[in-house]
Amino acid sequence: MFNAEKFIEKTVSNLKKEIKGKALIAFSGGVDSAVAAALAEKAIGDQLVAVHVDTGYMRKGDSENVKKMMEKLGLNFRFIDAGSDYYDSLKNIEDPEKKRKIIGKKFIQIFEKVAGEENVECLVQGTIAPDWIESGDGLRDTIKSHHNVGGLPENMKLKLVEPLRDLYKDEVRKVARLLGLHISERQPFPGPGLAIRIIGAATKERTEIVREACDIVEKEIEDAVKKGKMEKPWQYFAVLIPVKTVGVHGDKRAYGYTIAIRAVQSIDAMTCSYSDISHSVLDNISTKLTNTLGDKINRIVYDVTNKPPGTVEWE
Amino acid sequence: MIMVRIYVVDNGGQWTHREWRTLRDLDIDTKIVPNTTPFKEISAERVDGLVLSGGAPRVGLQKELGNCREYLEKADFPILGICAGHQFIAQFFGGETKPSKIPEFGKIELTLVKEDNALFKGVAKKSIVWESHNDEVTVLPKDFEVLGKSENCEIQAMHHKEKPVYGLQFHPEVEHTEYGELIFKNFIEICEK
Repeated sequence: MFNAEKFIEKTVSNLKKEIKGKALIAFSGGVDSAVAAALAEKAIGDQLVAVHVDTGYMRKGDSENVKKMMEKLGLNFRFIDAGSDYYDSLKNIEDPEKKRKIIGKKFIQIFEKVAGEENVECLVQGTIAPDWIESGDGLRDTIKSHHNVGGLPENMKLKLVEPLRDLYKDEVRKVARLLGLHISERQPFPGPGLAIRIIGAATKERTEIVREACDIVEKEIEDAVKKGKMEKPWQYFAVLIPVKTVGVHGDKRAYGYTIAIRAVQSIDAMTCSYSDISHSVLDNISTKLTNTLGDKINRIVYDVTNKPPGTVEWE
Repeated sequence: MIMVRIYVVDNGGQWTHREWRTLRDLDIDTKIVPNTTPFKEISAERVDGLVLSGGAPRVGLQKELGNCREYLEKADFPILGICAGHQFIAQFFGGETKPSKIPEFGKIELTLVKEDNALFKGVAKKSIVWESHNDEVTVLPKDFEVLGKSENCEIQAMHHKEKPVYGLQFHPEVEHTEYGELIFKNFIEICEK
């Protein structure tokens, strides 16, 4: 059985040997990167520089919370606001693989720039097993290029250090609990962020819609869980489908986008079943979404696909 | 206590690493080896059993699956083939693999047709298994026996009547397969003997 205590001990000792001098940690604020940061901090202390990139595709309040978390963990950190830069690079990009690769490349460009300024050669990432498995290799088909693996440029100068490569999310959470990280139970959020929760071009306008929609879905589901109306899903969010349909709002014709609600049960993301959400909970979410987003949205659907054949995120 | 040693042969599956994890969680001495590893390197490490993983290759359209043929020819220890590994075992022993008329993905009901087989000890006659396949074994090899089927696939599980060689079309290594861990435990017991 996986032993988190032994894992921490062994990893910290390995990291001490593996990292020469200073290192950067790509810090999204999720469980994986927070665990990788905490382990690297144990190994090399203030030689570690945490970098958080606000891509513009973060959830509501994410980046502010990350800032607080980095302060709380006592990390030496850099906060990079790159929203407009990301929106520009993804302009008119519809293909999900292209989106992921552009995002991966931009991350590395930013990290390399910071690495130059800080005189760092190593980049620590919180890559976990599903990231490299789904990204594909000589033997494995590419299901999707995770930004931190398949999205990396070929001629990268930084040396990669990935202490969590063999772990799945449930194991990372065990380590996080033992390290006392308060975000240990946080739901997964993909590195490319909301850009892959918008089908088609991930414009700023659509991002604002899906950001609000994700926030509503999260709050409504968390509320239903608290009231004992459903089991807590492993992951739950909204997807914007740029298909417009006709509605009627206050006796007037409306013509807006579609939002899909996605919620799944899993322990490791390698197989998932869609969550059994009651109609009354779906009803609450639907009403809240359409009434908050007004003329932008007038159709809500619930995704009832397992993995396989689907994946958790739509792109 | 001597640990049982079972290696996982990587045929490029999405769940190869899950097979490794399941064995490790059951305190088995395990590691993933590429399917290009020569047999003598594996046997030199005195393994008690092998799992041949699934993978994207279309077994029915190609003759080889890495060095899996060599493992099947030379092994004197138990072998469990999963998905593509299972299909290759069928071909190796003279059966046939073809594209499925109805491929299966995700949740499927498995029905055991042969009870009290060692691999399915304690598994209910009907249970939920998770699938992900485009091809399937269409002709059972000689000397084999079908152990389980589903609505759309007649050969979900099979074994060699004399040798400890097993094939599963479904995936016991994933969390959503109801008796997955038990099937692995049973395979470990088979390897211990």
